[in-house]
Amino acid sequence: MTAQSILSVQGVSRSFRGLKAVNEVSFEVPRGSICSLIGPNGAGKSTFFNLVTGYFAPDTGTITFEGRDITGFSPVQVAHLGVARAFQIAKPFPGMSVTENVRIGALFGRTGPRDVAAVTAQAMELAGLAELHDREARELTVGQLRRLEVARALAARPSLLLADEPCAGLNPTETAEMVTILRRIRDAGATIVLVEHDMPAVMEVSDTVLVLEAGCLIAQGKPEEIARDPRVIAAYLGTDE
Amino acid sequence: MKLFVSGRQAWVSIGVTLAGTLLFALLPLLLSPYGVRVGQLFVLAAGLAVAWTVLGGFSGYWSFGNAAFVGTGAFTAALLQLALPGWPAGSAFMVALVAAMLLNGLLALAIAWPILRLRGIYFAIAMLGVSQVCFELVSNIDSLRGALGVNLMDIVPRGVRPERFYYWALLLATLVIVLVAIAVRHSKLGYGLLAIREDEDTARMLGVPTTRYKMIAFVISAMLTAMMGVIYAHNLGYITANSVYRGDFNLNVIVYSLLGGMGTIIGPIIGAGIMTYVTQVLLGDLLDTHMFITGLLIAVLVLAAPNGLYGIYDNYRLRMRRRKQETQR
Repeated sequence: MTAQSILSVQGVSRSFRGLKAVNEVSFEVPRGSICSLIGPNGAGKSTFFNLVTGYFAPDTGTITFEGRDITGFSPVQVAHLGVARAFQIAKPFPGMSVTENVRIGALFGRTGPRDVAAVTAQAMELAGLAELHDREARELTVGQLRRLEVARALAARPSLLLADEPCAGLNPTETAEMVTILRRIRDAGATIVLVEHDMPAVMEVSDTVLVLEAGCLIAQGKPEEIARDPRVIAAYLGTDE
Repeated sequence: MKLFVSGRQAWVSIGVTLAGTLLFALLPLLLSPYGVRVGQLFVLAAGLAVAWTVLGGFSGYWSFGNAAFVGTGAFTAALLQLALPGWPAGSAFMVALVAAMLLNGLLALAIAWPILRLRGIYFAIAMLGVSQVCFELVSNIDSLRGALGVNLMDIVPRGVRPERFYYWALLLATLVIVLVAIAVRHSKLGYGLLAIREDEDTARMLGVPTTRYKMIAFVISAMLTAMMGVIYAHNLGYITANSVYRGDFNLNVIVYSLLGGMGTIIGPIIGAGIMTYVTQVLLGDLLDTHMFITGLLIAVLVLAAPNGLYGIYDNYRLRMRRRKQETQR
């Protein structure tokens, strides 16, 4: 593990009933970057998130976060170390207001008890939710819910944010807003690992791109390199063979 | 360390509670002895229902067996007083009260480990089982005297009418319960419990220590319920297992929240008020049909207002605000 990387994954595999969802994957995520994980459906992206957040333990391999081996840690332990996750299907607490949702992120994250109010306000501002603070989550649109999901994750003051398809189902305006928000989060000092299908958004926002196919890492590099990589094109479009 | 997360709301609630309690404390001076007895039933119901809400309303873990703590609290106090003959009534009462609360806290802690792993309806059923087991144990073990019954010490001071004294004692206990519930609701613990109710897996992922929080809420709820049980037992004067492990306690505390507003603190109080008024005053003379009418009323209210009366008010508030926002645009 190099000094600049915040997350290091070494030889991680996980099978479900004999099917290798993630197979011998190794990579490093540089601190302060936006790193996108792309690949066709079923490539193992969500399983990978579940492994890092402690929902599943890997069968083999090690996961190192900020120099500490977190393999086999529980979700609560991982969250307390500073890893937050924004779900693809936004899971805000529907009966609570926007402020209350974000406040829970702050209360149980790494914020001191005195700073909860300030951190909550800051996260809502960053995600463009300040005007909606007293709305109940069940009143929000899909795009607003997605931003709420990100704001709540952010209020925990994570050093690593795992964002699961934050742009899925958003219209172009909302997608552009989300890209801006992700950039702001990185500029505020966090590292982001992004799973995303919206390729223009991935190409625009990523510092590095990792490509998974059938559980294996088939390519990694800068966005423009990935776009030209024949293996990636084959994985996405198929080959003539 | 700040006491409350949402401090302003907490202090407003505390203010309203204190003012409301003061009003209710003056009522016995105006009411007939019969009216005061109805008041006792209301205050008892409200206290038990708010104690239930600390776990059931906030975290969504509905206990169908809170009578276990009413009964076990009552019998702990009664049996302990038998063991302390010759003590002055006041100090025997206090010792018994503290002991009953501690014992029920420990009981909750012991059953929390296996039972609070069960989610939703399974937890509810398991608690129903717990209350039945407690009832059977106290009924069938001779030394616990559940079948024979136990007398409790007379703790009413000289010169105070017993019905007034117990009204005030129950009111004081309910005040304590409501204040504890407000403190829980607006603390970090309360927000964690609400997150568990909304989505336990997401709460866990956000770092809420779900198991520990559920246990703490369960223990608090059990101790507060036991406190009510001890005072209720003294009010009865003589208790058997049947008179304190009452199945209707199990159910009523939930009905009050359903009527008034699940998950709120004011909801169960409103619900307890309505149900006590309807069953004791409005339908008090219709002995043959009042249970039928009560059941019908509950069914209609739950169908018409699934979030309780507070839910109706809340929806109205949301609609008004939306209309205001639209006119501003």
